[in-house]
Amino acid sequence: MAKSLLIISRQSPWSGPSAREALDIALAGGAFDLPLGLLFLDDGVLQLAPAQQPAAVQQKDLAANLQALPLFGVESLYASARSLQERGLEPRALTLAVEVLDDAALIALIDRYDQVITL
Amino acid sequence: MATLHVLSHSPFTDSRLSSCLRLLGPADGLLLCGDAVYALQPGSAQCQALDLMPDGIGLFALDEDLGARALTAPARIQVVDYPGFVELSCRFDKVNSWL
Amino acid sequence: MKFAIALFAPPHAPSSRRALRFAQAALAGGHQIVRLFFYQDAVHNASSNVVSAQDELDTPAEWRELVHQQQLDGVVCIAAALRRGILNEQEAQRYGRSAGNLEAPWELSGLGQLHEAAQTADRLICFGGP
Repeated sequence: MAKSLLIISRQSPWSGPSAREALDIALAGGAFDLPLGLLFLDDGVLQLAPAQQPAAVQQKDLAANLQALPLFGVESLYASARSLQERGLEPRALTLAVEVLDDAALIALIDRYDQVITL
Repeated sequence: MATLHVLSHSPFTDSRLSSCLRLLGPADGLLLCGDAVYALQPGSAQCQALDLMPDGIGLFALDEDLGARALTAPARIQVVDYPGFVELSCRFDKVNSWL
Repeated sequence: MKFAIALFAPPHAPSSRRALRFAQAALAGGHQIVRLFFYQDAVHNASSNVVSAQDELDTPAEWRELVHQQQLDGVVCIAAALRRGILNEQEAQRYGRSAGNLEAPWELSGLGQLHEAAQTADRLICFGGP
């Protein structure tokens, strides 16, 4: 049976290529039909903030890649409730349908996966 | 499935340690290496917090990083070398490095 | 035990050296390394153009030696590498660059190689940051 992998993305979308490259790991794994989860933690939840203007800093739109996740078979998408709250983000306003989990649920989530990459 | 969490950022300039401590499962372990061993700076709030971690949680620090910084690990922390690091990554079900 | 080792940091980052020492300790302990995968800034570890001062640690050279000696599978993410100016001869020609700076034992390939290694290994160990 294929090993499951949880990718924890902790970087803001505009801090360099890290957020995009974390997402690329998820998209590549999805293309291979692997059991993958993606968790947005700490500044990573900022990737889900609405109405961002990547063109203002001459960047490509990360949101487009995020929307592609379910198409690539990556449907287990999570965000930390605490990280959202700390940054004043409303779960309802996020650009991607994610399951919002508290710390206890996050501990159980990490526990469930065979492997973890935190970027 | 118990996780070995690995940290290498200084806890004084970075939020990884506090995020990680909130997400530790009851049988998880934490290995401090690089600047993360500064969490063992005597008298720091971080060092106190680690000292108060439940017994079930294994706390480890990489010996060379302690040595480089002239730090001594408190009794609660197990000091490991590279073979020890390898052994820990076998003992735990998975390794989560906070990059 | 079978390890997949993924590195995310450039040669001068302490975590590059840490990954190297971990790999050496794992092999010395009788474990197997199914693949080294260099991603993000770690692609610079595979550059043949890094020049270290004589009295400084030459991490890229140590990696190269380890991969040669132990006949490891050393894979560098192609997208991350191109973005950071790490090209083999073939890519240098393809993009009209004057020279490549990635040679054997390193191979350029895609992120699928990271997933494949993680699937094959008992443990996936990532190194990065400071």
